[in-house]
Amino acid sequence: MDFTLPSSARSSASSQIGSVLLLAGRVVLGGVFLYAAYTKLRHPWMLFAMSVDSYQMLPEWGVTLVARVLPWLELALGALLILGIGLRYVATGASALLAGFFLLMLRSYSQGLGIDCGCFGFGEKLGVRTLLRDGALVAFSLVIMVGAFLKRRARA
Amino acid sequence: MIRRIGFVGLLFWALAPLLTAPGAQAQRKVSAAELTTLKALGSRSAPITIEVFSDFQCPACRNTYESTLRPLIDNYVVTGKVYLVHRDFPLPIHSYSKVAARWANAGAQLGKFAKVEQTLYAKQETWGASGNFEAALGGVLTPAELKRARQLVESGQLDAAIDSDIALGNSKRVSQTPSLFVTHRGETTSLPPGGVTYPLLKQYLDYLLKQ
Repeated sequence: MDFTLPSSARSSASSQIGSVLLLAGRVVLGGVFLYAAYTKLRHPWMLFAMSVDSYQMLPEWGVTLVARVLPWLELALGALLILGIGLRYVATGASALLAGFFLLMLRSYSQGLGIDCGCFGFGEKLGVRTLLRDGALVAFSLVIMVGAFLKRRARA
Repeated sequence: MIRRIGFVGLLFWALAPLLTAPGAQAQRKVSAAELTTLKALGSRSAPITIEVFSDFQCPACRNTYESTLRPLIDNYVVTGKVYLVHRDFPLPIHSYSKVAARWANAGAQLGKFAKVEQTLYAKQETWGASGNFEAALGGVLTPAELKRARQLVESGQLDAAIDSDIALGNSKRVSQTPSLFVTHRGETTSLPPGGVTYPLLKQYLDYLLKQ
């Protein structure tokens, strides 16, 4: 007996697995963004602004702008990732944001700044652990972004 | 006889404040808890308490003191809105940090903590290079006070208060200086370590005071 599936069936099965993995991935990444937003929005914005300011990168108005806008942006990205709306663009935006955070963290760490990461609330010092975690999140986000583009191409 | 007892009683009552005057306080051994009070500024009944874990030889602490804590003292401590508590957290990487903390505590025991603290930060580079605290503090302490402060520093009596602050800092997971803790309505919030700017701290305090 021959148990080999026809090539069209194999392609369909792998496409389904890919879709499930993409769904799981975007839900997980969306959850991470929602949690990051929650840890910031549950406190007065000034506390997050102090964390942003400790990176010594922005003027006062820039610190205020980032502290007020970023948590809502994270909330929106998280919700859109989970809902799967505009996935290619949202995943690209999420990857860009995470990559930006990663570069900022790497720069501050290499400068020897003993500051709070500010990633998920307060009291988490910037260090190798936070860098590895953020690096892994960048990679994860990029995989989802590529997956979203591949899915779109397969449909077309 | 009754008159004599009355006279002695009145005399004792009249002289009693001398026993608690700064000079008299400097003569007796002061507990760590008393020193904490002497290292605090403002009213204990203020709605907000800020504890600052600081190292006199740390440049970031000097910067925070001069650019954040000075305006805080002028605008929030003096007006009774904030009770500011200094906590010693001398870091082992600085050669004179602990000695500086001893001098600050000696200044507190003499009732001159605010002036000694200000001078230690202002002249950080001078004593940080030479270790000569007497030259640095000569402008704020009289020769007699300097002599008494030196005795206190050399006696080791003040180490208990410093060690108590360090233990408290360790229990609060302080790993660097300055570290600020804001307590309002029984809830304590740790601010990002390394110092915060006055404009942001002001906005945060105003937010808390409106609650």
